Amino acid sequence: MKKVTIFGLSFSLPLLLWQLLFFAFPLFFLVALSFWVVENYRMVPDFDGVNWTKMFGRDVFWDTYLRTLALAAGASVLVSILAFPCSYGIAFKLSANLRRLAIFLMIIPFFTSYLVRVYSWQIFLSDNGIFNAAFGLLGMGPYTMLNTDFGTMVGYLTLCLPLVVLLQVFGLMFVDRTLIEAAHNLRCGRLRTVFLVVIPSARVGLVIAALFCFILTFGDFVGPLYLGGGKPPTLSIMITDTTKAGQQWPRAAVIAIVMIATLLVVAFSAIGYAYRKRA
Amino acid sequence: MAESLVVFDNVEKRFGDTIAVDRMNLDIRKGEFLVIMGSSGCGKTTTLRMLAGLDAPTQGEIRLDGRRINDLATWRRDTPMVWQSLALFPFLDVLQNVEFGLKMRGMDRARRRGKAMEWLDRMGIAEFARRDISQLSGGQRQRVALARSLVTEPEILLLDEPLSSLDAHLKVRMQAILSNLQKELGITFVYVTHSQSEAFAMGDRIVIMSRGRIEQIGAPVEIYRTPHNHFVAEFLGSSNIFQGRMAPMDGGLLPIETGQGRFYVNASGAGGKQEGASTTFVVGNDRMVLSEEQPADARNVLEGRVIGEEFVGATVTIHIETDDGQEIRAQKSHDEIAHLNTDVSTRIFVSWLPESAYVLPGE
Amino acid sequence: MNRNWLIDWSLRAYVILALAFVFAPIAASFVFSFNADRFPSLPLGGFSLRWYEAIAEDPLVWEGLRNSVVVGICASLLSTALGFAAAYTDFRYRFFGKPLYLALALLPPTIPVVIMGLAMLAFLSRVSLSGEIHSVIISHVVMCSPFAMAIIRMRLSQMDPSLEAAAWNLGAGEWRAMFHVIVPFARPAIFAALFITMAVSFDEFAVAWFVSGLNETLPVRILGFLQGQVSPRINAIGTIVFLTTMTLVILAQVLLMSRSGGVDETPRRQEP
Repeated sequence: MKKVTIFGLSFSLPLLLWQLLFFAFPLFFLVALSFWVVENYRMVPDFDGVNWTKMFGRDVFWDTYLRTLALAAGASVLVSILAFPCSYGIAFKLSANLRRLAIFLMIIPFFTSYLVRVYSWQIFLSDNGIFNAAFGLLGMGPYTMLNTDFGTMVGYLTLCLPLVVLLQVFGLMFVDRTLIEAAHNLRCGRLRTVFLVVIPSARVGLVIAALFCFILTFGDFVGPLYLGGGKPPTLSIMITDTTKAGQQWPRAAVIAIVMIATLLVVAFSAIGYAYRKRA
Repeated sequence: MAESLVVFDNVEKRFGDTIAVDRMNLDIRKGEFLVIMGSSGCGKTTTLRMLAGLDAPTQGEIRLDGRRINDLATWRRDTPMVWQSLALFPFLDVLQNVEFGLKMRGMDRARRRGKAMEWLDRMGIAEFARRDISQLSGGQRQRVALARSLVTEPEILLLDEPLSSLDAHLKVRMQAILSNLQKELGITFVYVTHSQSEAFAMGDRIVIMSRGRIEQIGAPVEIYRTPHNHFVAEFLGSSNIFQGRMAPMDGGLLPIETGQGRFYVNASGAGGKQEGASTTFVVGNDRMVLSEEQPADARNVLEGRVIGEEFVGATVTIHIETDDGQEIRAQKSHDEIAHLNTDVSTRIFVSWLPESAYVLPGE
Repeated sequence: MNRNWLIDWSLRAYVILALAFVFAPIAASFVFSFNADRFPSLPLGGFSLRWYEAIAEDPLVWEGLRNSVVVGICASLLSTALGFAAAYTDFRYRFFGKPLYLALALLPPTIPVVIMGLAMLAFLSRVSLSGEIHSVIISHVVMCSPFAMAIIRMRLSQMDPSLEAAAWNLGAGEWRAMFHVIVPFARPAIFAALFITMAVSFDEFAVAWFVSGLNETLPVRILGFLQGQVSPRINAIGTIVFLTTMTLVILAQVLLMSRSGGVDETPRRQEP
């Protein structure tokens, strides 16, 4: 059955062609686009590095880049840390049925609109919102939470927490339980067992979870814009502004390529770290 | 000799660098129950799959009724197979499973229903016709799989370890059913298994394969009594194997010098071998005689210690280790050893008659 | 063991806290969609359906809903068909460059939506396919087919591989075996994939916002509301959309559960 048949091709080719044409090609086209120039509000095909030099020459670009990088990296660490006790609890402290229920509940958010949830957080966080109303009853506040980095983080947490928990749970469920018992048996305390046995054994799952968190937050524009205020912007906000504002698509393409390059570097180093042989 | 149905002519099958079947020549006769036996990875399943058209030979030719079928697609052949997993369609009920082959051949609904029901009836499972596969027991599933393959009235039926998932009791019953079915239908069965008991219980002829090659073909008794070579003898495990060199004839008997001493075999077994030639002979486990005293008149005697016993039904196999470390097996009935002390470490004598030894022709 | 008991229960409490965080915005949007106040906060105002009435009277919402439904149906049909074909390819064939093939098939969800949006906009407008409803469909098929492929591939891995060979062996050609064996076996997963991809498409806003031009889908309309002033209409739409997608997801779940009895081997290893 080694032969290439019409039957085989009619199953293997459609998705290949579709993704080449409408996924791979558009991404490559972005690279070409970044060398085009805009003349009289019209894009003209060219091979000119002007967009690159213009963007790279601006301090605001680099400030935004570093800020986005810091926000995404911070979110990956923060979400991972906040998710871990929850994942640990689901993986080790719940009965099989409750665990299934918890996993199911963590899947539900994927099918709710992120936009609606972000708007809902506005209701919680705004100056006259639910939280400040509650604080007011206690005689505290009001605190400014909306349009701050705290707001951005709430958005990122909304976006990533369920996914990070799910990935961590799957990583933890593959940890051999006899290892944990063996550690206890060797008088390794509970907390030390978590750090010395559980986390190293589940490293792949934990790193992949953090990586997905980075990918999602690095590209998200809704959280930082509608909960974080959008000033100063992130790279994603910059792309949407640049694209929607006019014909400066080539410059948006430059930002997009820098983002993809960053994501590739981060993804490969994370995966390399996750699967690294122990020294 | 009966007519050939299938001929494997110098057939070779490679998967990348590994040779699964190595230049095989095999005639499968019309109406015979042929069993292909070997351990896993010996190429027996690949042989069957090539016959079914699921794998194509790398070299050589396979002929069915004299016609080359190397490149004939599976679905154009009439070589139904009973799978190890049975491969019953879980989304169809029993009747729909059985009529599948007829449907694919374009038979109209009423006729194929009728034929399928006929076969379900014949297999004694007509009452389950509208059940789901998951509602059937292991034995009932076997019957559905058989009916599904036979309903198209093929000349040949291929069976790939179909009984391996059944428990021992059910296995014996299914063996009888298969044997009878094959005799009644008069068609060819090609049955692949790693189980000796299945092979010897059902096969008209047995093919023993190892590492892609055929080691021996023959009737069960023939293979059992006169294994062709060391591999077959060892694979069957029913004989003790001795290696040595031929010495000059001595009083109508042929002496063979081995590491354990000089043993005598009947001269007729020499098979034209020259004096001094290296040779291997076997003695069936059940031909070994045990005694506590050194037997006075025996020509072939070994002394050793009992290292263990193995009970299989009415017989006991006693494992004995000689002083130079060879293991000897003797299979006896309980009565035969009632008077013997066979506790572990007891010293014991093993002897056999020259006519019980058989010189392997293939060594 | 008192300390262990405490730790166990605080971990369980933490799980509930995390779920509370996840569900707080969903619950709030449900509650506030019935709240009469213009600026939602505590204490609650009176019960009112005014936001539902407001969206019911908004022609843009209706148009968005119509567009979303059209996009959702087309994208789910197309991406399930493509995903099925790719899943079967991965199930059956080995070929040179297969890892690359799989990467191409599964990678789209890892690309940030903003970049996908920009790339699709730039490319589609270049080939004059942008700003129409089919631009959204094309993009959503790119983003949804990996999900369809994953769901159907998982189902196929439960299949006894000799099932297809058994069909050939019984005289079914490859195409007939496909429609008599593979498709019936994968049917529950195919329906699940249809519902899940529809749900994904129904919620997707970023790429749709980039490429849809004037043919806004419902989530793009919500984005429009967000950009305008805070409006509880979002809560009303969100509640309706949530109930719709949850219905689809639960339908998919029920289908996967009820028909997965077709696995004829012993139940798979339970999770440890």
